[in-house]
Amino acid sequence: MSQENRPARPSGRPPESGFARLTRTESSLRGPFLCFFASAVLWLVVSSVLALVAAVKLHRPDFLGACELTTYGRVVAAARDTFVYGWGFNALFAVNFWIMAQLGRFEFRNGWLATLGGATWNLALTYGVVQVVRGQLGGFALLDLPREVGPVLLLAFLLSALWSVVAYARRPGGQHFVSQWYIVGATFALPLVFLLAQLMVLWFPTVGTVQALAHAWFVQNLLFLWFGASALAAAYYFVPKILGRPLGHYYLAPVGFWTLFLFAGLGAPAALLGGPIPIWLQSVGVVASVLGIVPVVVLAINFFSTLSVDGGWGRSWNSTTLRFVAVGIVSFLLFGILAAVFSTRDLSATLAFTSFAEGQVQLLTYGASTMILFGASYFILPRLTGSLWPSTALVHVHFWSAFLGLLLAVGAALAGGWQAGHQPSAPSTPWALVGSVAAFLLLVGHVAFALNAFGMILSSTTPTSDGRSD
Amino acid sequence: MKNLNLLLAGVFFCVASVWTGLLVTAQVQLGSLGRAPAEEGGPLFPAREPGLAIQGRAVYLDLGCVACHTQQVRPAGQGSDIARGYGVRPSVARDYVLQPQVLLGQRRVGPDLANYGARAKSDAELAAFLAAPAAGVNHPPYAFLTAERSAALVAYLKSLRQDYSSPEAKLKQ
Repeated sequence: MSQENRPARPSGRPPESGFARLTRTESSLRGPFLCFFASAVLWLVVSSVLALVAAVKLHRPDFLGACELTTYGRVVAAARDTFVYGWGFNALFAVNFWIMAQLGRFEFRNGWLATLGGATWNLALTYGVVQVVRGQLGGFALLDLPREVGPVLLLAFLLSALWSVVAYARRPGGQHFVSQWYIVGATFALPLVFLLAQLMVLWFPTVGTVQALAHAWFVQNLLFLWFGASALAAAYYFVPKILGRPLGHYYLAPVGFWTLFLFAGLGAPAALLGGPIPIWLQSVGVVASVLGIVPVVVLAINFFSTLSVDGGWGRSWNSTTLRFVAVGIVSFLLFGILAAVFSTRDLSATLAFTSFAEGQVQLLTYGASTMILFGASYFILPRLTGSLWPSTALVHVHFWSAFLGLLLAVGAALAGGWQAGHQPSAPSTPWALVGSVAAFLLLVGHVAFALNAFGMILSSTTPTSDGRSD
Repeated sequence: MKNLNLLLAGVFFCVASVWTGLLVTAQVQLGSLGRAPAEEGGPLFPAREPGLAIQGRAVYLDLGCVACHTQQVRPAGQGSDIARGYGVRPSVARDYVLQPQVLLGQRRVGPDLANYGARAKSDAELAAFLAAPAAGVNHPPYAFLTAERSAALVAYLKSLRQDYSSPEAKLKQ
């Protein structure tokens, strides 16, 4: 489709590529992208090993029990921090920026700044995780890195991620697409939230349980507005692009965007139902969590109407990228439904403090965001490296290990949590065993992915900016 | 949505309004809470932690105990915490005003510890349990703890009590 024939109204589909200028765009961000992506994959493998150790310790507490460094509390904190801050942030820096550069025709002339930001991020995180394993950890999940790491991470985030906003500001012609709103919103909201949470919990701690409320607000925003929004941006980009048709009911996309950004943070007190915070706050959290079904419905309409026509699901299954992205979309919708339904007082009363909430979070961070990031990697890497994936077998190992690992991990967490809530005296060991098997499968999948990805990166040819057709 | 400034302003409004509505108002409501007497003229609660317990809190954080233990007792209509013996009354915000870092926790692999001091074993039994839990108990062994750290951790655990009346949660007589 040439520029002259492009319709004036937003078309529910990202603009077509195929111009030499777009190839120059990809060339300009190749270096930073590969740096972020390589770090992300390494962190993913590290976090998978830590997660496996933690999963085994849940049913065999004496596993590696003689060593203080492998105490369960430290290992699980390190696993969570490396997964979220190592894999999640690095991969999202890369993919978010790639999408924004593609949609905004952005030529990245200062790639070294983003690479510097990425190097700073990884160094600070490495220091923080080492300190966590040595016992210098805080009491709040995902805010348990030593507090001196926080300002460095914030600066590194701005260096690494702000280019997405620059790409939107400098896009030609004023056209916009839903993926851009989600990424700009996520990139702008996260440093604000991170800064305020660091101040209220770590640097100038508020009195008493307001700390817990600030922590819950931070985690809610991190999950929904960084992981969730970025995953949705990628899904909205790849589904119409690969299927070659516009999104269904695209006019609803702004409704989904604004309701997600408004209700996400408001639902934070639902994590503290029955806890030592005012009842009115808990009620606000429940109402906002239930209202969170609105963006979920919008997403379901957008994606299911696009995928359900013309053999879209079948075509998704046959496309490596869309296979992962489709799993991610379904996971996100399941997560949204569970979050809305299980935030009510009656259900929360029995399921609170069990593994049920962890299963829900894993459905979002792994089932949705990570699977969509995998799909994006299978689309982007061949273009940037000029290579093919070295081993098709490893691609299949990756998908099936990740998919089965996801099913088992989330299933065991939800079912085990349900049993623990309703029959507290029943043994939890069988579910913990299933969780260990799941963690092992996920590690296998991630190693397969890492081998394939690094094999491709190391054998890549430098792409030229002319002569490539898209 | 094509104007970047409007988009950023809208996102800022979403984040700022929620932060103000939830966190700032919570701070206004709870920020001035202080200790209170259980009965008129009586000692103030929560009680200040003894020095050894303060050191024990650092050991508790160091070992990541918050990953498996909560410190919040929910009211009778919201779970069975009181029926299970975790506490004699619900936890309230005032119970945490002296804690530099609140350790409410989010997961109970083990029991809640908010009122553990009221039902704890002797110091020696607790130290022995921490070093080598009985077979079949799903608790990691902390044999690597030195005697000083173990004693501090025991002192901290025994200082965890919420068995006093609070203006927001009076004990039933």
